Amino acid sequence: MLGFIKKDLAMIKSNFKLLGILIIIYTIMGFLGKMDISFILPFMSVMIMISSFSYDNYNNWDAYAITFPDGRKNGVKSKYITTILMVLVVSLITLILSFLISYVTTKSINYGETLVTMLGTIFGTLLVLTIMYPIIYKLGVEKARMAIFLIVFGIVIIGGFLVQYIDLSVITKSLAFLENYLGLILIIITILMVYISYKIALHIVMKKEY
Amino acid sequence: MENSLEIKKLSKKYDNFALENISFNLPKGMIMGFIGENGAGKTTTIKTILNIVQDYTGEIKIFGLDNRQNDKKIKEDIGVVLDDMFFPEILTPLDIDKIMRGIYKNWDSSLFKNYLNEFKLPSKKIIKTLSKGMHKKLEIATALAHHPKLLILDEPTSGLDPVARAEVIEIFQRFIENADCSILFSTHITTDLEHVADYITFIDEGKILLSKTTEELLEQYGIVKCNKDDFQKIDAKDYLKYKKTKYAYEVLVENKKEFTKKYNIKVIDKLTLDELMVLMIKGEE
Amino acid sequence: MEIIISNSSGVPIYEQIKEQIKEKIIANELKENELLPSIRTLAKDLRCSVITTKNAYEELVKEGYVKTIPAKGFYVAKINKDIIREEQLNKIEELLSEAIHLAKASNVSRAVLNEMIDILESEEK
Repeated sequence: MLGFIKKDLAMIKSNFKLLGILIIIYTIMGFLGKMDISFILPFMSVMIMISSFSYDNYNNWDAYAITFPDGRKNGVKSKYITTILMVLVVSLITLILSFLISYVTTKSINYGETLVTMLGTIFGTLLVLTIMYPIIYKLGVEKARMAIFLIVFGIVIIGGFLVQYIDLSVITKSLAFLENYLGLILIIITILMVYISYKIALHIVMKKEY
Repeated sequence: MENSLEIKKLSKKYDNFALENISFNLPKGMIMGFIGENGAGKTTTIKTILNIVQDYTGEIKIFGLDNRQNDKKIKEDIGVVLDDMFFPEILTPLDIDKIMRGIYKNWDSSLFKNYLNEFKLPSKKIIKTLSKGMHKKLEIATALAHHPKLLILDEPTSGLDPVARAEVIEIFQRFIENADCSILFSTHITTDLEHVADYITFIDEGKILLSKTTEELLEQYGIVKCNKDDFQKIDAKDYLKYKKTKYAYEVLVENKKEFTKKYNIKVIDKLTLDELMVLMIKGEE
Repeated sequence: MEIIISNSSGVPIYEQIKEQIKEKIIANELKENELLPSIRTLAKDLRCSVITTKNAYEELVKEGYVKTIPAKGFYVAKINKDIIREEQLNKIEELLSEAIHLAKASNVSRAVLNEMIDILESEEK
């Protein structure tokens, strides 16, 4: 198991230079007030993980890994574990940077709001990734790209439609009592979401023929 | 004799191809050459042995254990070289060493590094920059460094020049010096096998045509070369296949000695595995 | 120990190995109780299959030139000079009778045959 995680981390590591450059660019733009720095997380996570899957696919790593003890299961498990690790690390970096930016530009830091924004971003990022993974395992990266694009596009359109044409105030009002627990609820939903996605991906891989 | 690998009545259907009733045994301590044309079913058979393809009928036993029920245990002791399947190419041999330490209980870093030295492989360059031959050698080093008891090699010499081929074949023979170790070695370059393989299993269009000791094939089988008159005298049950060339008939017989006892035909040659393959596939019954 | 294998001689490889070891034992190059290389090492060094060297050793054991000590390996056996002489005489006889047979069939006289032996012998020297 450990070996699989090391392998996925080593692959992320090979992207380090590019990531560093991106973080610097975003940070500069953040300082200039041109960009909300929380965009780093979803953008980079999706890019890194798709590239990692592409390299795996190119050399048929998933099939090769089956020749190792418990290779099918560990391959999937390690992808999820490294994803969570990466999301946490990138979130931490972004968080520190946003504190820094807000301190430099406004001389004050709104801890609570920044944290909630971060939590929302983590949720959004993991939502996209957890939808992506089972599709990638089922179809392979190339075919999955299109499917993922359609799904994300669909979510945006439907979301936009809901906000525009349906009065959501009823729902918001009835859920108002939950407001204090928003952070906790998001965390629970995120964990559930990742778990379900993992189970689906594992099921696909355990049955898959290469 | 104990078998490292036993395959009984293995069948697997695809839309345009099928493995049909594959059966053969690889005794412990032996090298088996698995030969056949491209597309004959070598890779598919190997994939089912390794559970990469798992939806099949029949029985596969490795070290006497059912391969689907004891997958994890069996795989600790198997090393593989597969066609077009390996680590992502942005990793380095050094990465492979670190990763494998977390995958096999018996991974031997110093053995792996010895192989890297022996093969003159750079440990810090990414796989992508290696030549095709070096890539294969890295795959071989990776397959050997956890002290496996069974090596399953799909075309391990493809892409290697004659010197490198001799080098890796010597390594396989060194591996087999331990009588607990066995090798299944698929190839279409039969000269690699003629001298070192103890057994030859020959697959064509998803069926096993024969599985015998190499000695039996090379010393007992023969090719009779004769004219039409002589050919017509040969009883159909005394030969396996024949091929009519422009000038003569080439007839594959199972036992040279018995054939010469029965018939007075002068030209009867020893056969090479290549000739055997051609006659078995292209010859007429 | 030198063993030279020809892939084109038509003689099975295990027989080539067997004959050459046998010659060395008869010539006392390999001495009684000397340990022979293991089946697998010999196969590796000669670049031939394990079954081939195994067959060669098994034949040598059968013919009494080599003895096997389980879990230890193959050793040169104590050879019986009389038996070897007998065996060699048999072989000479066999070859000569074939020559005589051929001579008769092709009308070669005894005198010519004797002459041939003399010539061949002087060439050997």
